[in-house]
Amino acid sequence: MARWRYVLVEALAGLRRNLLMSFAVVLSITVSLTLLGASLLLSEQVELATDDWTGRVEVSIFLCDDRACPAITTQQRDQLEADLEANPVVAEVFYESKREAYDRFTRLFADQPTLIEAIDVATLPASFRVKLENPQLFGVIRDQFAAYPGVEEIVDQRDVLNQFLRFTTLVRNAALAIALVQLLAAGVLIANTIRVAAYARREQTAIMKLVGAANWYVRLPFVVEGIIAGALGTAAAWGILYGTVPRVTRDLAREVELLPFIGVDQVVAIAPLMALAGVGIAALASTLALRRFLRV
Amino acid sequence: MIRLVDATKAFRRGRDVEVVALDAVSLEVTKGEFVFVVGPSGSGKSTFMRLLTREQVADSGEVWVSGKNLKKLRRWKVPLLRREIGYVFQDFKLLPNKTVRENVSFALEVIGRGRKEIRARVPEVLELVGLTDKAESLPHELSGGQQQRVSIARAFVNNPRLLLCDEPTGNLDPATSVGIMKLLDRINRTGTTVVMATHDQQIVDSMRRRVVELEDGRVVRDQVRGVYGYGA
Ligand SMILES: Nc1ncnc2c1ncn2[C@@H]1O[C@H](COP(=O)(O)OP(=O)(O)O)[C@@H](O)[C@H]1O
Ligand SMILES: [Mg+2]
Repeated sequence: MARWRYVLVEALAGLRRNLLMSFAVVLSITVSLTLLGASLLLSEQVELATDDWTGRVEVSIFLCDDRACPAITTQQRDQLEADLEANPVVAEVFYESKREAYDRFTRLFADQPTLIEAIDVATLPASFRVKLENPQLFGVIRDQFAAYPGVEEIVDQRDVLNQFLRFTTLVRNAALAIALVQLLAAGVLIANTIRVAAYARREQTAIMKLVGAANWYVRLPFVVEGIIAGALGTAAAWGILYGTVPRVTRDLAREVELLPFIGVDQVVAIAPLMALAGVGIAALASTLALRRFLRV
Repeated sequence: MIRLVDATKAFRRGRDVEVVALDAVSLEVTKGEFVFVVGPSGSGKSTFMRLLTREQVADSGEVWVSGKNLKKLRRWKVPLLRREIGYVFQDFKLLPNKTVRENVSFALEVIGRGRKEIRARVPEVLELVGLTDKAESLPHELSGGQQQRVSIARAFVNNPRLLLCDEPTGNLDPATSVGIMKLLDRINRTGTTVVMATHDQQIVDSMRRRVVELEDGRVVRDQVRGVYGYGA
């Protein structure tokens, strides 16, 4: 018991002794882990969006309704449907009427009455919604069906998503790269701090070794000191993410209706991983810093 | 208790100058003995002590302490060896911000002894060294002799079988040194082996104990009831 209290008391005393340096360590861990957490969350976001999109319609073939081109006839429509179903590239086809399109739209924008007021059942075109065996084969469909009578436009829905995903992945990779560099810098800073701490207490550790304290026990207060700083920084970083991310994604979700966004759940879910990274780097850096310094 | 067989230890100084601190030293100290290690400064006394605690490892030859061959001792077992050895320095090496009692307790705390045992044992040792009434003093409030008693109390609190003292009276005046020697003698009478490095002629001559003399790292004399110099 006395031993464990000693370890904790010494660790806290060490943090207090060099408050400025401890602050720098906590800050650097906070910065690096905020970035790391952000990149993890971006990954989650990409995954969530992709999952949601997979299984959704990949290609929309909008049909003429007399606005841009003469309305499609029933015969033309049946022919188009039959040809689509016969096409080996097509996995699944279903028809969405004007009514269904309107219903979906009102569901999607349920909280934006002004948008819904602006349209009525006649506004949105009917369409064939097509799932492909291989989403890359969009070109085949477009080439083959764009010229069909009664077809107004063929849209690859994935284009919208892909742009978003590409951008998000880029941001995530950048955040991850900076986070790792920062984490390395934080590790070096911790190692240096711990070395200074060990040097400041070298008389005490010399006596401990001389009276036969176990090696791990001589080192533990310093490692715990590093771990406490690491844990504080991790907690701060997580707090920042917890306070900002759900708010930002809530606002985004209002703007971008088509995509699902991550929220509090995902921020909570990355907590263990962040703790592992933050506390892990601190423990590793302190242990390495002491390897030569406190050898028997 | 201690056995050295041709133990040699050299240090590199600069690129190719080698200082042989101990040169093929063979020596045996049995349990309960009191041994002076004498010799001028630089003759290898401290190096001899450091080999016994395994602060340093002999380059060649064997060093045995309480049945263990220190060359083969695993690193993690070194602390266990040191728990059997008390060590007293010339400059006391007390922790300045801890009281006398805390300095002595510290030695037991850090090897995981229970609080009950510590509370019982520390006053005993402080009484042995005659510092019961200084238990709550800080080191800087004590005289040199008193500080050395604290350091002996710390070395002895764990009941070591071997007490190594490296010039324990080096910083003390003769009168105070006599008190310290009486204390070490008393500790020796409890069955503890005591090895003391010194170049204090008066002390060695007055004690009439075994004397091992080093010169340039070699044992030049080993006398059962010796005095400091040949001439005396
Ligand atoms: N860690 C060391 N590094 C280099 N030289 C050392 C070291 N320890 C001792 N020596 C040298 O070994 C010789 C013996 O030193 P030491 O054992 O301290 O002698 P004493 O204690 O009798 O004064 C000296 O020449 C000293 O300079
Ligand atoms: Mg010496």
